[in-house]
Amino acid sequence: MNALEKQFSQTVTEHKSTIYTVCYMFSQDADEVNDLFQEVLVNLWKGFEHFEHRSDIKTWIYRVALNTCISIDRKKKRAATDRLTMDINLFEDRDEDTKQVDMLHKRISKLQPFDRAIVLLWLENLSYEEIGQIVGITTKNVSVRLFRIREQLKQMSND
Amino acid sequence: MNNNFENNMNETQFEDMRQQLNTLKKKLDAQEIVNDRLVRRSMRNEVNNITRRYYIIMAVSLLMIPYGYWCFVVLSHLSLAFWIGTSIFMLICGGATFYNCQKISDNDMMGRSLLEARKKVASAKKFEADWLKFGIPAVILWLSWFFYELYQNNSDATMEAFFWGGCIGAIIGAICGIKIHLKTQRQYQDIIDQIEDLTADQ
Repeated sequence: MNALEKQFSQTVTEHKSTIYTVCYMFSQDADEVNDLFQEVLVNLWKGFEHFEHRSDIKTWIYRVALNTCISIDRKKKRAATDRLTMDINLFEDRDEDTKQVDMLHKRISKLQPFDRAIVLLWLENLSYEEIGQIVGITTKNVSVRLFRIREQLKQMSND
Repeated sequence: MNNNFENNMNETQFEDMRQQLNTLKKKLDAQEIVNDRLVRRSMRNEVNNITRRYYIIMAVSLLMIPYGYWCFVVLSHLSLAFWIGTSIFMLICGGATFYNCQKISDNDMMGRSLLEARKKVASAKKFEADWLKFGIPAVILWLSWFFYELYQNNSDATMEAFFWGGCIGAIIGAICGIKIHLKTQRQYQDIIDQIEDLTADQ
């Protein structure tokens, strides 16, 4: 591996949980997470050389991961992929923690893709300004969207 | 910074969601997730589907020039003008596809804001839909010219075989084209709706 490849590998390892979380929230099963994760890595690598550090690396990773998950054509057949190295399955395990995580997944997956992205970023404790930069909308608009999402989620839990 | 939303955070549902995300993060942090093979494979996979698609279309467009000469001029005895016209049409098709794919295949596209990236995709979808406004009349014109040339240069029996073959090909092509066009239009509209919804309050 050359220096750039090593740096990329290290960045991916450092942010693996962030990437996985985004993929998980946009997937219906473990295979889909696997495919999305790999597609995100490909897109990260394509942009890595050109990343100019004008924004925080985490902000850039969120952008790439969310753009990939929102844009991907899920009907397309993909080539055989390498499996993620995990000994848990968030879609099938039945322990108490996984049940909690599954509840979050169910709530978020009912939202439209952009709203899913916004609420996820908010849950990750990003500021309105950072969310606005990632999504491409104003801080005020982030606040309005979050208010609507909150109402939507409240409505869903009442139904 | 999260003032407005935070003010409403006394509702436990959202506190729950944050806790659930923390649980997820803890579980994920304990996992290896990324392995060396996965990272290496991603670094090798430089040509994506879109890029591959425009390479194929460009290659087919270029191959149609020598193939068209053999098929139309040598085999079917059609005029050189028809072959030149077909070649120009194929080059325009290849060029338009290349131009459109360039819009969405730059390496940094996915690093843009979600809205900016969706606008680019919408612009490419619109071009694809608009392209048919030129493409359909051009194909009708090309087919008319093709049958006229066949009629001029071949016997009735050969002409009839080509005519029916051409008609079946044209119908199958039209059905596929319309299906793809409608799907593209739906996707385009969906992206536009999402963008409008997101920017409605700006």
